[in-house]
Amino acid sequence: MTKTDTLPATTTAPRVRERASISQLFWQGGTIVALIVLIAFFTAMRPDVFLSFGNMRNILEQIAILTIIAVGQTVVMVVGDFDLSVGTNATLSGATAASLMIGGTPIPLAIVAGLCVGLLVGVVNGLLVAFLQLSAFVATLATMTTVGGLAFIATSGTTLYGMPEDFFWIGQGRPMGIPMPIFFAVAAAIILWLVLRFTTLGRRWYAVGGNAEVARLSGVNVRWTRFLAFAVAGLASAIGGIILVSRLGSASSASGNNYMMLAVAAVFLGMTILKSGQANVGGTLVGVGIIGVMSNGLNIIGVNTYIQQVLTGLIIIAAVTLSALKARKS
Amino acid sequence: MTAVNSSETGTALLEPVAALEARGIVKRFDGVHALNGVSLSVQPGEIHALLGENGAGKSTLIKIITGLYQPDSGQIVRDGNELEFANVRAANKAGVVALYQELSIIPTISVAENILLGEQMPSRGSLVDWGALRKRARAQLDRLNQRIPLGKLAGQLSPVQQTMVSVARALATDARVLILDEPTAALTDLEITDLFAVLRGLREEGVAIIYVSHRLEEVFELCDRLTIMRNGETITTKPVADTTVDEVISTMVGRSAGELFPERSTATDQVVLTVEGLNGRRVKDVSFQAYAGEVLGIGGLAGSGRSELLRLLAGAQKYSSGTVTLAGQRLPHAPGVGRVLEAGIALVPEERRSQGVIVSAPIDDNIALGNLKAVSSLGWVSDRKVVDLARDGLANLQIKARGPRQAVGQLSGGNQQKVVLAKMLARKPKVLLMDEPTRGIDVGTKAEIYRLIRELVAGGTTVIAVSSELPELIGMSDRIIIMHEGRIAGEVQAEGADDELLLSYCYGKTD
Repeated sequence: MTKTDTLPATTTAPRVRERASISQLFWQGGTIVALIVLIAFFTAMRPDVFLSFGNMRNILEQIAILTIIAVGQTVVMVVGDFDLSVGTNATLSGATAASLMIGGTPIPLAIVAGLCVGLLVGVVNGLLVAFLQLSAFVATLATMTTVGGLAFIATSGTTLYGMPEDFFWIGQGRPMGIPMPIFFAVAAAIILWLVLRFTTLGRRWYAVGGNAEVARLSGVNVRWTRFLAFAVAGLASAIGGIILVSRLGSASSASGNNYMMLAVAAVFLGMTILKSGQANVGGTLVGVGIIGVMSNGLNIIGVNTYIQQVLTGLIIIAAVTLSALKARKS
Repeated sequence: MTAVNSSETGTALLEPVAALEARGIVKRFDGVHALNGVSLSVQPGEIHALLGENGAGKSTLIKIITGLYQPDSGQIVRDGNELEFANVRAANKAGVVALYQELSIIPTISVAENILLGEQMPSRGSLVDWGALRKRARAQLDRLNQRIPLGKLAGQLSPVQQTMVSVARALATDARVLILDEPTAALTDLEITDLFAVLRGLREEGVAIIYVSHRLEEVFELCDRLTIMRNGETITTKPVADTTVDEVISTMVGRSAGELFPERSTATDQVVLTVEGLNGRRVKDVSFQAYAGEVLGIGGLAGSGRSELLRLLAGAQKYSSGTVTLAGQRLPHAPGVGRVLEAGIALVPEERRSQGVIVSAPIDDNIALGNLKAVSSLGWVSDRKVVDLARDGLANLQIKARGPRQAVGQLSGGNQQKVVLAKMLARKPKVLLMDEPTRGIDVGTKAEIYRLIRELVAGGTTVIAVSSELPELIGMSDRIIIMHEGRIAGEVQAEGADDELLLSYCYGKTD
């Protein structure tokens, strides 16, 4: 160790390696290995089917809506909270748009109304958590339940049919042979990745999640920043919910509810990728990929959906355990 | 665990057997020597100070003594028996216990349970024997002369009571070697006196105590001998009576202590900040002015409203009435930290790790956080500007780091403090507020911070700094305001200031 005359040696030989490159930091960890192993496994099981172009397109189409909702959830988890209402919010937003269209409202107007409903749910979450300082768990659990009930009211507890044909293009259109939802998912992921990575808002989100008090004393408006995260998640849920209705051609009273668990799971899987354990869009995409590959692959090899659910839970436990063990070792 | 009896190996029996001895400890991390042949010997019934700057190797040595790390070579000898501690439990079993301020109690369970946690918990079958628990917990607290309610949740105790509870727990496990790491950091003077009385009592009982502290006054008041470490080596061990504060400092730093505080520059008479009739939580009717180019020190006892005053000025807390005028512009009421920063007042907060830096984030992101406008245009952040800003900070403040992307949590306390400073200095504030600017920082870095403060005021900045250490307050300031129970009790010029007068202001005497 060399040292100058003016400075006493104060370094304590830091032992953790510095970020060598973005890729090294981003693409590490058991989660990615898990995704690769899954792909390899299903390819080996059904080499003729799994890796075919048609099936790959299927997987992407199946995970597109989950991707949109999960990247919204990523933002909330970046600020250190989570949003349990994204699933029922997607249902309600989709159902609102559907019932308006069935009632004769022009498509664009109905879509905007659905988006507003989703945004409004996000705004309420934001008010409760950021301004009234309720715990995110309690607040969004309550809105989840309320919004779920509203979705039943909006659909009268049935499944709504009879939206105009033009509306189905959003969820079923295939320009260049690629399903429309994939375009929306890619756009949502890119936009939120850019915002998180390159904007002052993204930095504020990460700072609030890292240490809200430090952020506040650095001049960040913590409440507003946290509020915006919930608003984004609400809007993302609404987009996902409306695309879902278009893709299915119908709106049921609970069609999007499952997305909450899957979105949280995907973000958790993705958090294991970064050494710092922060939520990040790249990781969330890997998490969504694992969930999508699991469900599609198990379908192809003929495993029933109940067992699929059990296996999905187990693989999440495995990936998170692996990364926790690694963190303990280093 | 291997144990070799001293009489069998023929160790000189005439020498008193040390309660704990570390011999020739070597520890490398990634090939870098953290400890290079360290030796330390503590006798039963001795309070032994372990001194050294941050990074000198004190914490590594303690982690080896308590079984958290394994040495690459060297021995730990306890009561003449050579031991190897495979883990912390093994060290505890051998009677070696370390107390860390933050980790030592579980806030959500009762005092009695905290004292007899784990294997000490008395039980009947698998049920807790509450009667025996209370009795034995009470006995441990009696030993320390403490009247702490056993049923109270430990989290509701004052810091000193929490320290007492963790000492009691150590004693309940029959600790014969007690290691205290900065135990007084969160304590008031009165509480420190209380703690010292307890430690002296333990000394009478023959407990060996290793006392790690940056506060040399305390060491000289309490300890019997001291060992000084520097650069992973033990430099000297001496009875405290045979040395002086100056000598200790120069041994720790490797140079003379006279350079600790730089020369005072000349303060101007140009008013920068005017505070009138400020009222808020713990702050009552405070009025003062601060001038360009001066260091205004604020002193007072803990709880006198010093920190709260700074937080009011920084916009981190709201004031109920009063005005703050900066360079002729009156600040709006309750503006929030962001607006105050824009206006030109920046705060370096008291608690570095919970208020100053995001420890998990890299240096450059931390510095950028306080300067988002400077590193972005239209909300779009430039990575290059972020890194450039961090490089400037690293260079200007001589921050010892491997580069701008290193996580702040990996830096020493002094360098973390410099990162907070770099973040705020990049805003080029007119007024820099500093709350305990050198708390928990080694002597060498302290001197650097004092020098930095002087450079700042020489450039026309006003620095307002709170400190609970009178020598620091006098050494670094041009002018000193002392607070008592939220009010300004007195004001003096720092040059040639009288300790006793300042203290009497601290305790409420007014002019």
